[in-house]
Amino acid sequence: MMRYLIKRVLTVIPVLLGVSILVFGFVRMIPGDPALVMLGERATDENVQRIREQLGLNEPIYKQYMIFLGNALKGDLGTSILRNESVTGELARRFPATVELTLAAMLIALVIGIPAGILSAVRRGSVFDMGSMLVSLTGVSMPIFWLGLMLIFFFSVKLHIFPTGGRMPAGMRVEPITNFVLIDTLLHGNLPAFGQALRHLALPAIALGTIPMAIIARMTRSAMLESLGNDYTRTAHAKGLKERTVVTRHVLRNAWLPIITVIGLQVGRLLSGAILTETVFAWPGIGRWLVEAIYARDYPIVQGVTLFIAILFVMVNLLVDVLYAVVDPRIRFE
Amino acid sequence: MRVFRSKWLVLFALVVLAATLAACAAPAPQVVEKIVTQVVKEEVPVIQTQVVEVQKEVEKIVEVVVTPTPAPSMAQDTFVFGAQGEPVCLDAPVITDGITGRVTNQIFEGLVKFDGATTNVVPSLAKSWTTSDDGLVWTFTLQEGVKFHDGTDFNADAVVANFDYWQNTENPLHKAQVESGKAFEYFEAQFGGFDDASIIKSVEAVDPTTVKITLNAPQGPFLNNLAMFVFVFSSPTALEANGLESCTKPVGTGPYKFVEWLPNEQVTLVANESYWDTANMAKTPNVVIRNIPNNSSRLLALSAGEIQGMEGMEPRDVAALKDDADFNVILRPANTTGYVAFNYEVEEFTDPKVREAFAVAINKSAIVDAFYGGTGMVANQFQPPALWGYNPNIVDRTFDTDAAKKLLADAGYPDGISEVTFKGNKVPLEFWYMPVSRPYYPNPKDIATAIAADWAKAGINVSLQTVDWATYLDRRRLGELPLYMLGWTGDNGDPDNFLCYFFCLPEDNTPAAREGFFADVAVSDVLKEAAMLTDQAERTTLYQEAEQMLFDSTGRIFVANNQPPLAFTANVEGYVANPTSTEFFNTVVVN
Repeated sequence: MMRYLIKRVLTVIPVLLGVSILVFGFVRMIPGDPALVMLGERATDENVQRIREQLGLNEPIYKQYMIFLGNALKGDLGTSILRNESVTGELARRFPATVELTLAAMLIALVIGIPAGILSAVRRGSVFDMGSMLVSLTGVSMPIFWLGLMLIFFFSVKLHIFPTGGRMPAGMRVEPITNFVLIDTLLHGNLPAFGQALRHLALPAIALGTIPMAIIARMTRSAMLESLGNDYTRTAHAKGLKERTVVTRHVLRNAWLPIITVIGLQVGRLLSGAILTETVFAWPGIGRWLVEAIYARDYPIVQGVTLFIAILFVMVNLLVDVLYAVVDPRIRFE
Repeated sequence: MRVFRSKWLVLFALVVLAATLAACAAPAPQVVEKIVTQVVKEEVPVIQTQVVEVQKEVEKIVEVVVTPTPAPSMAQDTFVFGAQGEPVCLDAPVITDGITGRVTNQIFEGLVKFDGATTNVVPSLAKSWTTSDDGLVWTFTLQEGVKFHDGTDFNADAVVANFDYWQNTENPLHKAQVESGKAFEYFEAQFGGFDDASIIKSVEAVDPTTVKITLNAPQGPFLNNLAMFVFVFSSPTALEANGLESCTKPVGTGPYKFVEWLPNEQVTLVANESYWDTANMAKTPNVVIRNIPNNSSRLLALSAGEIQGMEGMEPRDVAALKDDADFNVILRPANTTGYVAFNYEVEEFTDPKVREAFAVAINKSAIVDAFYGGTGMVANQFQPPALWGYNPNIVDRTFDTDAAKKLLADAGYPDGISEVTFKGNKVPLEFWYMPVSRPYYPNPKDIATAIAADWAKAGINVSLQTVDWATYLDRRRLGELPLYMLGWTGDNGDPDNFLCYFFCLPEDNTPAAREGFFADVAVSDVLKEAAMLTDQAERTTLYQEAEQMLFDSTGRIFVANNQPPLAFTANVEGYVANPTSTEFFNTVVVN
């Protein structure tokens, strides 16, 4: 297992190198340059040239790349063009917001999606099955932007249950320690602030969790159905096992693999930033930051964040592979 | 048994969901009280008006009281404004954008400022000034007893130190800013460059309350330039101590002091208790400027009462808000013009008849009615009516498809125009529209489609094109767009800022690719002459003349002005919208 892990981690290195080269090259291949975006309608040739010079954009690309790579290895992803902020520092500040949102969304997705999927499979063709699959089909096809706005409209504007966006009320302030607001408020022992943080998290988490929830429910159902039709299920029934034991010990156990794969993919996807959700709910995570940086051609942010996301994806995949071995004893890495 | 199991699962899911929701409840009792009081107050004028209205308000009270967890509405001592984006850097001289300006305007002050809703220049930190007869020497007398937020004195030396920071490329902080990728763009643009290239020859402290600014040449818009939001004074002590961190540690003299900036979330300000201008102390103790990037979300936050003011609305929302008694919509006087520009390397466009045909074929008033939500105005010249160089005598050509056809036929295109000769090649005519909403064109795509449809009726067939904003600007700068939409938002309320930037040619009169190779030497000469004068009456005549010339030759098609809307909850009073967007929150009251 250890050897496998080491081997897996080592194969990550060429992947990340490749990603960094691709990102670095692609970002610079897009027409339009940062100097121009900074200047907008007011751009003159001289201004553009001067700013390009200042930003080091006139250096050959391979030279720029070597500088980037050298710094990245030291944990320094550069300084953003527009705001002079350290990309690493900003990642440390914004990524916790994304993680909080992702975990909350996944919690909702798992807690509702998996039981719904199991129930639908076990009671295939029942009203519950049809109902839950109809709901999940709707969930998968729902434009998240619209869902977010509708949630705000009903729960914030009409019912005043939840705030419309942000992580905290405008006047409330909690000194950051970990940048995870939920953890920081608890560390400070500030329960009202913790409650506020939860209230702010609720709607974006529901909006963001809807699609993964639907996907997980559908995947759980189909994996369960496949497993239900297998010989070992029939055998288990024939042995006279209780329905519950058959479902949990035999059917579900065998259905876990595809479910975990889907969950892993969803987590990776959410961690890389929920751009629409973050925009609708003014959530200061990395997705919106990345998109704004792409429009502004803020190269250091784009390449830094993309590289970071690539690392995350690799880690999540690794974790999923390890989980395979945990749930399926037949899988061994030696 | 099977049924039993599944019930447990459903129950479990429900319990978790309920627990999540329950954990979210933590209402602050004072807040409930406040909301109710507020509604009761509002009730008084309502009762005096109509029965229907009263019913509406009563419904509202019920809604608030029944609410299980009222929104954490801000106390009345805080004004929360919803911004469309994130400030760039809170050090004014290195910024150009209005989102940052909204924050710095509250913290900093300059020698002069724009008065209320006009572009008239009035005293700020300078209480008076005199000009020499040749317009070269300006002597400013400063207010006395003014202190920066860090407690240091504002005086003539501070003014000199700030000008040095802006103008002197050897100034350590200026140098550091430039090396970090920042630019002193507005200083360069308004005062002709840095060091000796600048129109400002020297800035001297005559005594602690007198500053003498000597120019190399008279400059018509000098005072208007000084009133711009970027030429405001930072504490020299703080600048030196903070260096590049001045971006996040602004120290000015204004009615509000900086508290903190949570990136991508909000900026918090607090009233300056020792503000020098006691008659204009901040009326609301706290200001929070929240970044809510999505237009619809921002509007919903306003509806929910989480913010009390906002900018950036979809035109369709403006119309709805205007009729809603819970909100106030304020229109900022127009300082913005959207145009359609010809590229003069398109052979066909060098014929004034063709350009005129394009102009008369557009139904401008239909476009303004359809796409501006009631905030737009038809434009017939580049300057908006609020500018003093505006020419009131220009009467726009009437929209006339047949006249357009006839003009095209006269110019030798009886079958209309679908293809053009661009840079020597016969190509289909492309019409480029911007991919982003700007104040002058809130929905560029819809407007472009309407224009193209109008043109099609006159036999002008274009293919609509767009590309992302950075690329759009780049291709426009290189003169690669044959026919395109763009516009301008004025900076300093001076006609020079509208006209000369576009239509003044360089000394050798070579046309600029950036302006589609526009090259009208006569217009350029008139504009250059006007920029050198300090007498406003003489300048007005020249700017009006230039507008008439541009109109007669249809140098460009000016389509619309827009008055950007701001929306507030009905309990907000005292917000004054200025054409240049330099707006001050110290007059704002949240009832």
